[in-house]
Amino acid sequence: MIQVSHVSKSFELTRQQRKEFQTNERFRTAVSEVSFQCQPGRVFSLLGPNGAGKTTLLRMIATLLVPSEGHIEINGLNSLQDAQLIRQKLGFLTGSTGLYARLTPIELIDYFADLYGVAHPLREQRKKELFELLNMHDFLNQRIGKLSTGQKQKVSICRTMIHDPDILIFDEPTSGLDVITAENIIQLIRDCKQRGKTILFSSHIMSEVDLLCDDLAIIHKGRIKHIGTMSDFRSHMQANTLTEEFIRIVQSNETPNA
Amino acid sequence: MIFRIFRKELLDTLRDRRTLVRMIVIPILIFPIITNISAYFAKSEKVNASEKVIAIGVVEATPRQLSAQLNSLPKGFHIGKLNTFPDSLSLKKAVQKGKVDLGLFAQILPDTSIQQERFTWFVDGTKEGLEERATAITQFFQLQHETQRLQQLGIRPEEIHPLQATYINCASQQKMMGQVIGGILPYIFIAFGFIGCMYPAIDLFTGEKERGTLETLLCAPIARWKILTGKMAVIVFSGLAAASFALIGIYISSEFLGLSLDKNITAEVMKVLEPQFLIYSLLLLLPLVVFFAGIMVPIAVSAKSFKEAQSMIGPLNMLVVLPAMVGFFPGFELNALTAMIPVVNVVLATKALLSGTLAWIYLVEALGVMLLLAALSVLFSYRQYGKESNLIN
Repeated sequence: MIQVSHVSKSFELTRQQRKEFQTNERFRTAVSEVSFQCQPGRVFSLLGPNGAGKTTLLRMIATLLVPSEGHIEINGLNSLQDAQLIRQKLGFLTGSTGLYARLTPIELIDYFADLYGVAHPLREQRKKELFELLNMHDFLNQRIGKLSTGQKQKVSICRTMIHDPDILIFDEPTSGLDVITAENIIQLIRDCKQRGKTILFSSHIMSEVDLLCDDLAIIHKGRIKHIGTMSDFRSHMQANTLTEEFIRIVQSNETPNA
Repeated sequence: MIFRIFRKELLDTLRDRRTLVRMIVIPILIFPIITNISAYFAKSEKVNASEKVIAIGVVEATPRQLSAQLNSLPKGFHIGKLNTFPDSLSLKKAVQKGKVDLGLFAQILPDTSIQQERFTWFVDGTKEGLEERATAITQFFQLQHETQRLQQLGIRPEEIHPLQATYINCASQQKMMGQVIGGILPYIFIAFGFIGCMYPAIDLFTGEKERGTLETLLCAPIARWKILTGKMAVIVFSGLAAASFALIGIYISSEFLGLSLDKNITAEVMKVLEPQFLIYSLLLLLPLVVFFAGIMVPIAVSAKSFKEAQSMIGPLNMLVVLPAMVGFFPGFELNALTAMIPVVNVVLATKALLSGTLAWIYLVEALGVMLLLAALSVLFSYRQYGKESNLIN
């Protein structure tokens, strides 16, 4: 379970950034007073336009960034004190994640299996399962730099899941992918949900959210604008489509419903 | 786990053509060959200058006896045609225009009782070896006249030289060669050690940030100091490898390509490959290369792009190369003061080690200073590597 309580994050602006943003402020708030909870066996979707603060929030949950205020707990572990234990239980996949182009998929997966301390017999079994599931056998020994975007994303997924994490964070995992690869990823997220994993999914594609999510939060300018279950969202919609409702909420001055 | 990170980063680095070129190809091939070829041509030029048949110009008023004497010089002087000129001005112009190689204007000095002549030579100073040829001719005539006059006076030449001096060089062959090669070797070590560190430092830190692989690495349950240590070990390895390959390159080019001027230099390079010297130089070079890595990493970590990192680290090269040249200048020795100056202390200690004049107290001092600086730079790297603003773009 992921428990986010009153989390805020501010970044100190460099002189260059202050010039770019034409401001005299020393700090810029990316996330402000955000609270939510993700339950095991459910997919929680974090929705928001570009620059809303989604990635900053996910990076804090993944222990890459430290919250300026508030606290985050993952399976009862505190993100500040137990960062390393949390990372052991967490898989983080983003659409912009890079891979080591000069390694082969098999070398990369073995490297991350070592970093996550996956024991050898278990590792071989996990590799076999994931290679089958993602249909990776044809390109396992090619350099990653020479793979297609879809193949690279499969390697990324395999890397994210080699240690069989309890918590999965997907930050716009289908961005820039073709329809077939995107569908494979959606299917994989569904499988993980069935296996009781806690899944946090960020996107700005409403159709994906509609297909996958049980709970959702809409975030805009670092603040939660809406939070609740997907079924509630559908039943209380004021616009005709999900996309229109999303735009309506983002542009409205309403206070959060929860 | 540190070794696992080191292994992976090393594999990744060794598969990069640009790193291989900087770490192996450039040190082994280009630098030694360029140095040796230029030295070879410099030597050929000198040999040619001493054996070239030269044309000498003389002023018409010069006594005919001198022209005859010039013509009768032994073959070893390689004198060719003698040209005459009406005055010293036209003779000078002829030398300037290259019509003759040397111009000789001889005058008999007014004090007739002594019968003294003055030779004025016109030489083009940019041409190798001509001044030496003029000096040799003057000395030859000088000796000839002296001997004749002494014979006329009935004096044996030994009688006017009551004192004979002999100079014996007490410096050992090792010390002499240490002075020559002791400046070059540490320079090569340091210059290539720096170049060897530079590219992996940028690739492993800025490159990783630029490619988006850093985020995945930081998500792994590994302490950041372990990641930093594994990566820095690759940078240090690369710097040491580049320095070692440069040394091997010099040995190969001088031993197998036959480009060396002096076999003693080859012998000295061979001595460098002896285990004892290798251990000492590694002892000196290791903290220096760690120090290089320690100053490059914070820059590479804070740079936003590969290009930015290159433009920031590149100029540092001058700060390292200039003090590394101290070994070329005579008069600089390892002492309590120079042992405290980074880079300079390593150069002078290596030079003293090669010459066999190393004072151990200063070696310990130099090592202490370098270890302290290496530790401080690594600590600074760790602080910079831990900063959120440096890790995530």
